[in-house]
Amino acid sequence: MTRELSGPEAASLAEAAVPGSVDRTTDAACYLKSDHLVATLEALKTSPEADLVHLTNLCGVDFWDHFEVVYHVQSFDKNQIALFKVDVLDREAPVVPSVVPVFHGAWMQENETYDLFGIKFEGHPNLYRILLWEGYPGWPLRKDFLSMPGGLQPGLGEFAGVSHRQEPPMKVLE
Amino acid sequence: MTDVIKSEPFVINIGPQHPSTHGVFRIRATVDGEKVIDAEMVMGYLHRSMEKLAEERTYTQNIPFTDRTDYLSSMSNNLGYCLAAEKLAGIEVPARGDAIRVIMAELQRLASHCMAVGAFANDTGAWQTPVMWCFREREKILDIFEVTSGARLTCNYMRIGGVAFDLRPAFEPMVRKVLADLPPFIEEMEQLLTGNEIFVSRTRGVGVLSPELATNASLSGPMLRGSGIAWDLRKADPYCGYEQYDFDIPIGYQGDSYDRFIVRLEEMRQSVKIIQQALDGLPSGPFRTEVPLALRPQKGEAYARIESPRGELGYYLVSDEGPSPYRFHIRPPSFINLSALKEMTVGGTVADAIVVLGSIDIVVGEIDR
Repeated sequence: MTRELSGPEAASLAEAAVPGSVDRTTDAACYLKSDHLVATLEALKTSPEADLVHLTNLCGVDFWDHFEVVYHVQSFDKNQIALFKVDVLDREAPVVPSVVPVFHGAWMQENETYDLFGIKFEGHPNLYRILLWEGYPGWPLRKDFLSMPGGLQPGLGEFAGVSHRQEPPMKVLE
Repeated sequence: MTDVIKSEPFVINIGPQHPSTHGVFRIRATVDGEKVIDAEMVMGYLHRSMEKLAEERTYTQNIPFTDRTDYLSSMSNNLGYCLAAEKLAGIEVPARGDAIRVIMAELQRLASHCMAVGAFANDTGAWQTPVMWCFREREKILDIFEVTSGARLTCNYMRIGGVAFDLRPAFEPMVRKVLADLPPFIEEMEQLLTGNEIFVSRTRGVGVLSPELATNASLSGPMLRGSGIAWDLRKADPYCGYEQYDFDIPIGYQGDSYDRFIVRLEEMRQSVKIIQQALDGLPSGPFRTEVPLALRPQKGEAYARIESPRGELGYYLVSDEGPSPYRFHIRPPSFINLSALKEMTVGGTVADAIVVLGSIDIVVGEIDR
């Protein structure tokens, strides 16, 4: 079985690789500081005890007031996978450093995250809207995209006892 | 005589509607003479925003969406999503459910690789004969799916907690027939293609991928194994009880299109072996754990992955205790396998670009989602 590194385990690896790179940890994930992200992943890729050579999954998550960018990185030889995250607090102009210089495979997934969330990856060689077209209005996977007034969501009304999600804490786009 | 023919670079579109792109996918190739000097991918023609739609539906209602991502391996996609939802909600699957899932996933791998091998032979110029032979075998597997789930392509058969229905009485003889027919068919394909001089000269050394690049470009599945990295999630991170079955991981040594073809052909043999073992030891008992229709997993996140025919298929789910996923992310293997397309095509000819694209085995429904 692949060993899933817990948050503190991943944090201790990251701390050993680049001191001061860890922002905070939860049980499952290690949150890295965005300005240390590239250096930390680079160091974890080359360090023999972490050996996190394969960036498996990269995606964004919208939490209404901030974004998170999620990195699943794994090692073939050690058979372990670690979960790193980066908080993106500025919702108006979200920027994260690009990890393409470290993992070439991030090229596609960062483009996809930019396309659907509008998160800019600084240092990406060719950031463009990979699935939608240039000039598409808005960023579809953001939570405030096309949500209906009153928090109503299609598809769930028929289940009794299902309450709708709480009102978004921010203004819904008209 | 120092005169040389001068040529200027110009742009040629391969696709979007072209048989070799296996769907609506476009390569904007800049060519100098017949040599590709730059390749740019254009995709999104089939984008249906599944990740957004899934945030509005319950966990069970999302299963049919997963059929329609990778429509050539719907069973594997169902399985990956159900595993992620089970991991999130902490649901155990009974032993019979796991065994049925393994049989279905491996049958799907056979059907998908039949398609991949046949279409790849088509791309290399072995026009129609191999692909028709492959379709003949794939048809028998689709018949099994029809008997079991009622659908041939979009099966919608897995459920959170197990599978939708138990197996029909006709299932076992049909699978036994496929298992008896397939090894001779694979032999036949080997005789037709593996040693075929035209096929070998069209694929050997075309689209060479070093193990370093394959790792760095996040590739998975036959692409990674074709470059000599023995990484198969069925062995490395077993799910559904794959650790009980005896099978090998085929790998290539040169990382070219030919190796990826051979890896797929050999994987079909291994799949036959797995199905045989699973069918012989099929446990009795319940095939599904009862799960509430409007499932509400606790707050948290889960990333579950399986070895789909095309590579590592991952589902990343975030729950906010609501009845639908707060975030539903697919890690599509064909999409990410394309990240090395430029490196593999630049420097070759336009005809080689077609072979390289065929060896990646893309499914556009999964790229665009």
